[in-house]
Amino acid sequence: MPDISARVRELRSLENLAAGQTVIHRLHPLAKLLSAFVFIVFVVSFGRYEFVGLVPYLFYPFVLMAMADLPYKVLLTRVLVAVPFCLFAGVSNVFFDTGAAFAVGGVAVSLGMLSLATILLKMYLTVMAALLLVATTPFTELTAQLRRLFVPVIFVMVFEMTFRYIGVLFEEVYSMMTAYRLRSGTGKALDMRHMGSFVGQLLLRGFDRAERVHGAMCCRGYSLKHSPPARHRFRGADVLALATVCLPVVGLRIVGVLL
Amino acid sequence: MHMADALLSPAVGLTMGAVSVAAIKVSVSKVRKSELSEKMVPIMGVAGAMVFAGQMINFAIPATGSSGHIGGGIMLAGLLGGVPAFLSITAVLIIQCLFFADGGLLALGCNIFNMGVVPCLIIYPLVFKPLLSKGIDLKRLSAASIASAVIGLELGAFCVVLQTVASGITVLPFGTFMGLMLPIHLVIGLVEGFVTAAVLCFIYKMRPEILHAAHHNTPYFGSQNLAPAKDGPAQGGGGSTKRVVVILAVVTVLVGGGLSLFASTHPDGLEWAIGKTTEQAFGVETGLETDGSFYESVAGVQNSTAFMPDYAFASDPENVGGTSVAGLVGAGITFVLAAATGLVIAKVKKRKSKCPT
Amino acid sequence: MIQVRNLIVEYPDGTKAVDSVGFSVGPGENVALIGANGAGKSSLVLALVGVLLPAQGEIHVGETVLHKKSLREIRSRVGLVFQNPDDQLFMPNIFEDVAFGPRSFGCDEEETTQRVRAALSKLGIEHLAERSPLKLSGGEKRLAAIATVLAMDPDYLLFDEPTAFLDPRARRNLIDILGELPQGKLIATHDLAFAGEMCSRVLLLERGEIVADAGIELLRDGVALERVGL
Repeated sequence: MPDISARVRELRSLENLAAGQTVIHRLHPLAKLLSAFVFIVFVVSFGRYEFVGLVPYLFYPFVLMAMADLPYKVLLTRVLVAVPFCLFAGVSNVFFDTGAAFAVGGVAVSLGMLSLATILLKMYLTVMAALLLVATTPFTELTAQLRRLFVPVIFVMVFEMTFRYIGVLFEEVYSMMTAYRLRSGTGKALDMRHMGSFVGQLLLRGFDRAERVHGAMCCRGYSLKHSPPARHRFRGADVLALATVCLPVVGLRIVGVLL
Repeated sequence: MHMADALLSPAVGLTMGAVSVAAIKVSVSKVRKSELSEKMVPIMGVAGAMVFAGQMINFAIPATGSSGHIGGGIMLAGLLGGVPAFLSITAVLIIQCLFFADGGLLALGCNIFNMGVVPCLIIYPLVFKPLLSKGIDLKRLSAASIASAVIGLELGAFCVVLQTVASGITVLPFGTFMGLMLPIHLVIGLVEGFVTAAVLCFIYKMRPEILHAAHHNTPYFGSQNLAPAKDGPAQGGGGSTKRVVVILAVVTVLVGGGLSLFASTHPDGLEWAIGKTTEQAFGVETGLETDGSFYESVAGVQNSTAFMPDYAFASDPENVGGTSVAGLVGAGITFVLAAATGLVIAKVKKRKSKCPT
Repeated sequence: MIQVRNLIVEYPDGTKAVDSVGFSVGPGENVALIGANGAGKSSLVLALVGVLLPAQGEIHVGETVLHKKSLREIRSRVGLVFQNPDDQLFMPNIFEDVAFGPRSFGCDEEETTQRVRAALSKLGIEHLAERSPLKLSGGEKRLAAIATVLAMDPDYLLFDEPTAFLDPRARRNLIDILGELPQGKLIATHDLAFAGEMCSRVLLLERGEIVADAGIELLRDGVALERVGL
């Protein structure tokens, strides 16, 4: 089960990155959330063949990555996760959309190829925008911001606790799987016959744990009524950052339409 | 089955986002009203984490030599009830999107709908619960699990197709897309169904009260605790009819919105048909730069691939977004500039950190 | 003073986890609650803060009687440190986790921060504030879990197996730290050496009943301990 520990490491590596102290990390979480969202919506609004118009948007991930001291490799490997489905939908364009777009040095480029390239570029930009958001914003700030945006407390709590218990339960699965494999003598995967009792046991243990967690929370006065305080102020720097992202993002789109 | 941002148009993404936000709002207020709400929060959180952990368990699919993993919507709904399960799954999907790049930020609305609303709020009350209306036993539980998982995944896959086609980013024709997605998800659904059945049956054998309680809308958890009232009465039939009304409303909005968007990206059948017939002429027209062999070779590939229908979308040159050789060169330069900017910033920062003055 | 009279706690199936127990813990007093696995230590401790519902009996904390309506007050005055820190630490980082208690009890942000800092520094773990519980060692997790309770500024502390999962050095460190805390403590454990170092009084629990309430010398009574499986 190498993939379990790998997934946990993945999760933690983004958290570690988010603990950085660069200018970008210090921005208000709302500024980062909004700019990521505006960026994604505008990238996605580009048409099927507007590859060229999208290229300038590459400034966003490149510049942000550099300013926030983020390692390129970590983020890139994560972008690759999104590739298969996009490729599946995009490659079919190559077959169906056979009209020729233009030729480069005598070799014709079909519209389908152009749209495939556009889809892949969009994928890179949108996935990067989301990753950059979590790689520069600590999880607690993100959830506190969600509450301030009137996301219901219950939901934010569920979100936070899911995040917290992933690690704990991964460890549980990992040790259960290891014990299973040591006695099963077979390959890596669980035999389908044992799936019911294996996952069932895991669920029951998880529920017992949830009961204890709830008990511990009650002991510390847990109720759904308290709401979190704002720890950051929206400052001039945040407005500036938001404008720096949004103006070119919107502007480039308008220019694209006018042309 | 995760939908990606890159395949979505903003209109579809935002519409589905609005639908999912509405579903979350309704679900949260439902959970809040329930007497056991405070107890349910940690349960939902841990349940969400368990879906994650469960997905890490690869199991061997008999006679195929491949392995799969569980999705979990129906399973959680069977254990917690539809509404709490939906909130758990939503939390899982958001974390997958943010931390694992599975699905995008804008696509969250679609993914929450396809993998949360569909199994937990549509299939669970409309398929799973009715199948168990005569009481729970192992046979009915298995049948309900398998049926719900299959129908849920098929419906989810159908929604993926609708959303993709309505967005108009791929030109994959509706029928072909369906022909690809539905059989694949039938298989996945069957596997998921068997696993769900196995797990639920196991839990039913060990702790039947959990499934009974979820079935009667009274989450089991909290039986021995002081905090909330014990043995709270079932939430009654009123709750479930209201739920059905809400679901129907949501579905209506979705289908209506989806269809109108679909219509707008494919203005009308006539234009499309004309496009198809004039495609030959179009090929020749732009043929100034296109030599015949290119077109033929593409067509050759197309014919040799069995499932491809032999047409292509005709596009007017305006649609190409100003792409040309010149455009491409410009794009290349822009790319280099962007990369260089990043590099320069990184270099400058490094130098600064080396000599802190 | 915590006073317990004729306390009975039942499992859902009706068997008695704690049977007709009575004892008291004075302010600043350190009392060990020892017993074999399954003797009912955890159930007793959970009942004292109302996580488990007593079937019968009374629990007094000072003048207050434990009751549904007084739960909040009781819990602000009696802090329970769970056996497994993973049950107790559920927020994404330690600061938030320690702040959870004070915030729930209505402290404003300034006071919360102050209490969190105080609790962390009392335990010598200020440096863990921004860390995720995922990344802590067993000993660090234990201290963090204690901090979450200390931040509520309780009069009494209850511990359920505080030395579980600890290596010798972390255990030593825990003994030193707990010795410094002024609160009255009830420590459920089967780590007899730990009980001997920490406490002045011992309650011996066997199948839900207190069979001895004596001074520390009880821990040297090999025959009595052997009889209850310790």
